Amino acid sequence: MKTINNNLFARKLLAGAVGLGLSTLAVSATAQEPVAPINLMTTTESYDPIRYEAAFIIAERWRELGFEVNVQPTEFSTALERFYDQQDFDATILGWTGRTDRLDPQFFLSTLDSRQSNLGGNNPGGYDNPEFDALFDEQSREFDPDARQQLVQEMQELYKSDVPLLILFYRDEVVAYNNEAFEGFNPMAGEGLYSEWGPMEAVPLGERSVLRIGGPQEPDNLNPLASTSVWGWKWMRLYYDRLVRLSADVEPLPWAAESVDQVDDTTIAVTLREGMTFHDGEPVTAEDVAFTFNYYLDQDYSYFNSYLAALDSIEQIDDLTVHFHLGEPSASFASITLSQIPILPKHIWEEIEDASTLSPSDTPTVGSGPFVHERFDRGEFMALSKFEDHFHADEIAVDGVEFIIYADMEGVYTGLQTGQIDVTAWRMEPGQIGLAEAEEHLNVVNVPDFGYYHLTFNLRREPFDDRAVRRALAMASDRERMVNVLLDGRGEVGASVIAPVNTFWNDPFVERFPFDMDAARAELEEAGYSWDSDGRLVK
Amino acid sequence: MSSRRSYLIRRVLHGFMALFIIATLLFFLFRLGLPDPTAALITEGLSPEERERVRASFGLDRPIWEQYFLYLVNILQGDFGYSFHYRAPVADIIWERLGNTMILMLPAIVLAYAVGAPLGAWLSWRRGSRTDTTGIFVGLMFRSAPMFWTGMIAILVFGIGLGWLPTSGMRTLPYEASGFFDKIFTLDFLHHLILPALVVALYYLGSPLLIMRNTMLEVYGEDFIEMARAKGLPERRILYAHAARNALLPVVTQLAVTIGLAAGGQVVVEVVFSWPGLGREILNSVRTSDFPLAQASFLVMAAFVITLNLLVDILYTLLDPRVSFK
Repeated sequence: MKTINNNLFARKLLAGAVGLGLSTLAVSATAQEPVAPINLMTTTESYDPIRYEAAFIIAERWRELGFEVNVQPTEFSTALERFYDQQDFDATILGWTGRTDRLDPQFFLSTLDSRQSNLGGNNPGGYDNPEFDALFDEQSREFDPDARQQLVQEMQELYKSDVPLLILFYRDEVVAYNNEAFEGFNPMAGEGLYSEWGPMEAVPLGERSVLRIGGPQEPDNLNPLASTSVWGWKWMRLYYDRLVRLSADVEPLPWAAESVDQVDDTTIAVTLREGMTFHDGEPVTAEDVAFTFNYYLDQDYSYFNSYLAALDSIEQIDDLTVHFHLGEPSASFASITLSQIPILPKHIWEEIEDASTLSPSDTPTVGSGPFVHERFDRGEFMALSKFEDHFHADEIAVDGVEFIIYADMEGVYTGLQTGQIDVTAWRMEPGQIGLAEAEEHLNVVNVPDFGYYHLTFNLRREPFDDRAVRRALAMASDRERMVNVLLDGRGEVGASVIAPVNTFWNDPFVERFPFDMDAARAELEEAGYSWDSDGRLVK
Repeated sequence: MSSRRSYLIRRVLHGFMALFIIATLLFFLFRLGLPDPTAALITEGLSPEERERVRASFGLDRPIWEQYFLYLVNILQGDFGYSFHYRAPVADIIWERLGNTMILMLPAIVLAYAVGAPLGAWLSWRRGSRTDTTGIFVGLMFRSAPMFWTGMIAILVFGIGLGWLPTSGMRTLPYEASGFFDKIFTLDFLHHLILPALVVALYYLGSPLLIMRNTMLEVYGEDFIEMARAKGLPERRILYAHAARNALLPVVTQLAVTIGLAAGGQVVVEVVFSWPGLGREILNSVRTSDFPLAQASFLVMAAFVITLNLLVDILYTLLDPRVSFK
């Protein structure tokens, strides 16, 4: 209370001084004001105990540094709303999940673009650096990977010293599978074992040749023009093929495409494989591909709009060739757009005028992918069978895939333990990891993530408008402790928005701000801050 | 007869008024209390413009009074709308889930009352004995033990330890049947039902047991029991034919209220046993701010409670001639 009153008093003094025409500079230099208190918003303990505890680890040290810190655990959706839609926060702990299309640096870099800092945009902290924005545009047009890598790394160094946000840590996804039932899994960063490759690579060891996956969540729906959840797309991409698939090392591989060539800066030519068919036996042709992309443009499906933003039009050249005409050069078009948009059969979808209002029973599920969709019983179970006519069919050892939907991870783990399922679709609870490791028939797999947990400062507010404060707060955040204690060592201390596991784009030379209270104090002192008799930071 | 009819009409009208008020409360409560349904799309990287378009497709860009009016008109026509999250008609989702919930809850509750009420009567007869104390203790213990705890112990012992019973879901995979009756008229379904139903039944057992026992004690003081004794009727006959019949009334009330509330399911049991019931769905719909689904689920629950209360009142007149229609 006292500090707030002092603060008010000092402001009134200031206002009075201005009114009297005195030099404000002289007044502010003599009257030392306490630094504004900080509300640190985080998730509730029940939603995510790790982010909740992290806030207290941070607050403890910041207080030691002389800040007044108040931790505000907030219900998740409300926190999202306050952070993104209202930008009503001082500092917030949230995270971005590592979705494969985010391995391309485009998305994570855009979260620091000043043009994203409007209400609802992806840069709620309000970082505004024209140089960064210019580099962002440049890299998104750069087709040469090495040249683009240079630009992307330069951007990371540029923003990092300003500390508009603090990357707390990358949390390993810890999953497990039954080593008596299946082998051959290759973990994929951000995807764990339930990647699009998992079912294609799994080799049955026991009697059952159908791979059973268990997860705590299910698709919102299986409409390729309405689903807005990863769980929908994780399933659909097993029965819809894409022109390009990202390899487990996240390299774009031509898939349904025989080749992807750049004709000029804004034209990309794609030639299809010969002899592909949809699950209903109809051939897959360039006409279907052209139709699909045009259909997505027409239907205005929000979830994919960012992928399609660069696409002007698509032209069918012959039976197997299409040309994509871009509005401007786009470096990520082949790796993101072509790897995310499924190929829809024209003969089925052309009849459907408004795809977004299709009811589940009317939604077509015919694709040309390596598996055929069999059923989805909400809350219970989903099933796929192997598509024997697929060009990759000889490489696939399983006869099908089943997904059992549980209510929570407790159920998933029991299912794994009792042999009901073979692999977990989602990360295990910390308490289950030790149990799984003790089980003979289970293999525990640590998969590094490139999604990250961050603490974002609201740069429009005091004291975060001061770069020195942000740097000092970064130095006073004990992130090693979070990784060691909260993650039990299963993760890595945060560095850049592009994670180290994303080796090609990550810049290993960014400033790291290791935990150092003395350095934090020195940084503040240098910027003209001092401490009053109670140890409270003043300026 | 005419007083009975006008009574019924009045009660039904009251029921509809209550539903209207509940529907209104639900509409505004969810819109004021829950976050924007598109908030979760932020983490999927959607831009503000795109999210605005999604909101518009949900009809959330219209003035709130217009939304409210449409909502009421649709309900009157039996149309609960479209789920934001599932993009499917809400009615389809609710009926399926409600069926799954009731097929778990009804047998469990019936079991609890079929065992609990006679047991309570018997305990009252043995009042003050060690049997009585033990019976009360066991009933209260299961009533106060958290269901997730009893559920987990049951899973641990019978599912994992002994391996006798399945621990999750309604049926063994893979299966072919998909119609509701194909689903439930199988041995496999019964096998899956045992554990969760037992956990629910144990929880509910305490109520009929204690209510029956205590009401019986009151009834014992009545003159007609004295009369029966004087007539020299056997103790067993007095207990079940005379006392128990008169003590049943509060148990019946409790049963109806319990069944009414059962529509919402036991979220905890549905989660622990991964049972695809309405309780889990309600939880999800609130979590995802799926207004149409959440509103309709709660409305269905309310309608259930109201209907069953009405049924109890009618049943009373049959069970107890002292109650008449006024």
